[in-house]
Amino acid sequence: MDWLERYRRIVPDFEDFKAAQQRRLLPSARINLLKTERSRAMEHLEEEGAKARPFEWYPLGLQLDSERAGKLRANLLGYIHIQEELSMVPPLVLDPKPGERVLDLCASPGSKTTQISQMMGNRGLVVANEPSLSRIAPLRSNCERLGALNVAITRYDGRRFPRGPFDKVLVDAPCSSEGRARRDPKVLSRCSPKRSLDLQRLQIGLLKNALRLARAGGLVVYSTCTYAPEENEMVVESALNEARLERISIPGLRESPGITEWDGSDLSEELSCTARYYPHMNDTGGFFVARLIKN
Amino acid sequence: MPGSSRTRNFFEPLERSEVAAMWRERFGIPESAFDGYRFYRKAQSVWVVSDVDLPGLSYEALGMRMMDLKGRVWKPTTCALQVFGRLASRNMVHLDDDQARAFLAGGTQEIESATEPGYAVVFYRGEVLGCGLYSRGRLISQIPKEMRSAGCQEGDET
Repeated sequence: MDWLERYRRIVPDFEDFKAAQQRRLLPSARINLLKTERSRAMEHLEEEGAKARPFEWYPLGLQLDSERAGKLRANLLGYIHIQEELSMVPPLVLDPKPGERVLDLCASPGSKTTQISQMMGNRGLVVANEPSLSRIAPLRSNCERLGALNVAITRYDGRRFPRGPFDKVLVDAPCSSEGRARRDPKVLSRCSPKRSLDLQRLQIGLLKNALRLARAGGLVVYSTCTYAPEENEMVVESALNEARLERISIPGLRESPGITEWDGSDLSEELSCTARYYPHMNDTGGFFVARLIKN
Repeated sequence: MPGSSRTRNFFEPLERSEVAAMWRERFGIPESAFDGYRFYRKAQSVWVVSDVDLPGLSYEALGMRMMDLKGRVWKPTTCALQVFGRLASRNMVHLDDDQARAFLAGGTQEIESATEPGYAVVFYRGEVLGCGLYSRGRLISQIPKEMRSAGCQEGDET
């Protein structure tokens, strides 16, 4: 039994999608301008023999041909951060500005938190929330290594994070992680409809609280690294009485529109504004991103 | 919501001038290097965070842990030296290629330096590598385990 077969009807060029799951995915990294300049980071990588190729759609993102990317001096010194290519998308959709007040509701290990901090030039505030005590340590250590000094870490259940308001909120929700299968095929063996529906309850709770915490007219970005509509469009649909969707388009990156029908049921047409990213379209993992403007 | 009681209970605000004086005395770093930041003390640690009003929340961490006050003399963290240490004018150690490699691996080595005994800013080709403890001609790397080039470490993440 192949779990991904359930997506045959919604994924364009499904055979290519299946074939892409078998292909090796090179590590990727983001240049951290909070600690160095682009040219200096590239010099360090070259000296250590790590081949780095910038993404076409994001010049700070690099594909790395290196066996021990995490041990590169550039990484240890915080000049780069090992981060999945598509994980760099949600902060760009959030588009944080220096001086704003931003909440990252499910923050650990902090790849997106620190990218947000970088985009803000360390000015303003990023509250990075992570409920799990054991996941606070990697979040802290990444923020410190990368010099993200405008980050304050909290440990609330995201569904009950107490108070805002925030200009922008990122909900990079816990999910079934099907989009990570190229790195770790085992993720698929844990997938089931029941698991997705259990996660959906949590995800809806997180998104509803994020909308409560955003200021009126504020922005909430919801993202997952899964294909399951139960955890994506169906979560976003539950919030459409409190927010409207804005279309997502990242120049140079091919997305597929969010689906408006699943398992015989119609979903809101507005959900086509959300974006699905598939491995065969950009040679990446998989991701889902929605951009909501609070009423 | 700045300065709520919960913030104050756990992270006690410190005067910038008080922190800056300690860094000036040991490393000759000018006070202006700390403009645009706030400082807090929690237990035996000093934390530095961008100068911004903090909402009244219960915090696990604010910005970066910058100093450890547990010992007989205060100790700067490697990460804080990487941010503020570039402006040091005293108690610096400059390493060559091989020495830098050993330092990043967490090693101890014989180094000839005019630096006073105690914590030093360790440089390599004009860039700060981190904190070293200099004593009797030996430099002991203070690079935290998770930032060392040797040993096991969690690499990839999403």
